[in-house]
Amino acid sequence: MAGFGAPRWRFLWRCAASPLALRRPGRALLWSRGYGQDAGSEANKKKSDVTKPCFMDELVQSLLSKMTGLDLQKVFRPIKQELKPPTYKLMTEKQLAEATRKAIEEAKELLKMPPVLSEREPIDDVLAEDRILEGTETIKYVFTDTTYSTPHRERFIVVREPSGVLRKASWEERDRMIQVYFPREGRKLVPPPIFKDENLKTVFREDRHEEVLNLCIAQFEPDSADYIRVHHQTYEDIDKHAKYDLLRSTRHFGGMVWYLVNRKKTDGLLIDMIQRNLIDDATCLINLYHMLHPDCQSAKEVKEEDAYGVDLIKVFMKTESKKVGYIELALQAYQEALASSAAL
Amino acid sequence: MVHLAHLLMKNYHGGHVAVQLALGGCANRPFFRIVAAYNKRARDSKYLEQVGCYDPLPNSHNEKLVGLNIERIKHWIGCGAHVTKPVEKLLGLSGFFPLHPMMITNAERLRKRRALKAKTASEEETPGDQ
Repeated sequence: MAGFGAPRWRFLWRCAASPLALRRPGRALLWSRGYGQDAGSEANKKKSDVTKPCFMDELVQSLLSKMTGLDLQKVFRPIKQELKPPTYKLMTEKQLAEATRKAIEEAKELLKMPPVLSEREPIDDVLAEDRILEGTETIKYVFTDTTYSTPHRERFIVVREPSGVLRKASWEERDRMIQVYFPREGRKLVPPPIFKDENLKTVFREDRHEEVLNLCIAQFEPDSADYIRVHHQTYEDIDKHAKYDLLRSTRHFGGMVWYLVNRKKTDGLLIDMIQRNLIDDATCLINLYHMLHPDCQSAKEVKEEDAYGVDLIKVFMKTESKKVGYIELALQAYQEALASSAAL
Repeated sequence: MVHLAHLLMKNYHGGHVAVQLALGGCANRPFFRIVAAYNKRARDSKYLEQVGCYDPLPNSHNEKLVGLNIERIKHWIGCGAHVTKPVEKLLGLSGFFPLHPMMITNAERLRKRRALKAKTASEEETPGDQ
C-alpha cells in the first residue's frame, strides 16, 4: 500500500518478487513507507548554504555513478543462493546484445546508492505528566500504533514510565517496536555483534567490507548513529589501506567518494584511479571536489584556465593535495605507459 | 431459491459489540489479544476483528508491549462498541483515552496506605526507643 499524504521523498528499492532479489542479503521490499524527510533540505540546513550540492542531486549522482563503474562480472558474481544447475541458452548476436542490455539495466538498479543522511536528532517530547500514578507500577508500558497504512516515520509510539510520565519513544525503542510488529527481512531485533568495533576490525582484515555494508543497510535506518558510525569506519579503513577496488562496482562506492570528498581525503583514491588508468574517473572526482568546495584554490584556477584531463589533475595536485610526490609519480608512470603503447 | 441461512446463524438478543481482552498463550504464560467481539460470546472464541495485543509479562528491557490498531478501534467505538475496564485502563495509560478514574483512586488509596504504614512504623520505633 503506498504511503499517502504530502509528497515525500521516497527511496525505491527492488521489488522482492523479482528473482534477482534473492541475490543480496536483506534486500528490502518496495519501500512504500518512505522517508518523511527531504535529504536535500537536511544537508542544506546543516551547511547553512542554500547553493551547496547535496548527495541526491542529479549531477552529483551522475558523477558518482560514472566513478562507480559497471563491471557486470562483479555485480552478477555468484552469490550464496538456492542450488540449481546452470541453464545454457543458444542465442544469436542480436539476442545476446539484448540480454546484455537487460543485464546492464538490472545492474543499474542493483547499483542504486543508499541514502546519505545526517544523524537524527534524539526525540525527547513529553506528552503528559500524571504524577498521581507514581509508585503504582514498576514496569514501563510501550504503546505502538499498529495501523497498517501509516508510514513508519509517522507512527505513534509512546512510553508510559513508572513515574507516570507519558513520553514519545526514543529512536532505538521506535526501531525495536517497528521490527516487532512489522518485521523486515534481514533485520534482527538485537543488532548482531559484527557491528561492534573489535569485530569490525577482524572483518576488515579479511577484506569483507561490502558484506558488512550490506548487513548494515539491512539492519539500521540510514540516519541512525550506528549506520553512520559503521559506514564511516569502513570508509576510513578502506582509505587507510587503499582498498578502493573492493567497493568499485558496488552501490557503496558513491557514498564512500562523497565521504572522502567532504573531508578532503581524495589523494589515495586519485592515486588508485591513475594507477588503474581511469583518467575519466579522476576528472569526475576533481569536478565533484570543485562542486563541493567552490572556494578552494584549484577550483578558482580551473575556472580561469579551463583545464581538462591530465592538466586538471596537475592543477589539482599542485594546489590541493597533500601527497604531491605520489600523485606525480603515478602520473609520470601513466604517461610513460601511454607513450610506450602509442609508440608500439 | 429459499434463503434460510440467516435463520440458522446465531442471533443475539440484546447483545452488543465489545472491545475486550481475549486470553491466549500457554501455562504460566498469558498473552492477551485486544479484540472486537460480541458481548455474549465466550471470551476466547470467535471474534469480529483483532484490534491489538497486550503482553502482560515484561521483556528483557523491562517493558510491557501493547499494540493498538487505533484506526480500527476508532471505527468500532464509532459503531457503538462498548469497551471493557481493562482495555479502558490500557487506553487511558496510552493517552488515547483520559486516565481511568479507578486507576487514580487506586493510586491515591495505595499512597494513603503507604503513608499510614510509614507513620505507624515510625511511631512504633519512637516508643520502642523510649
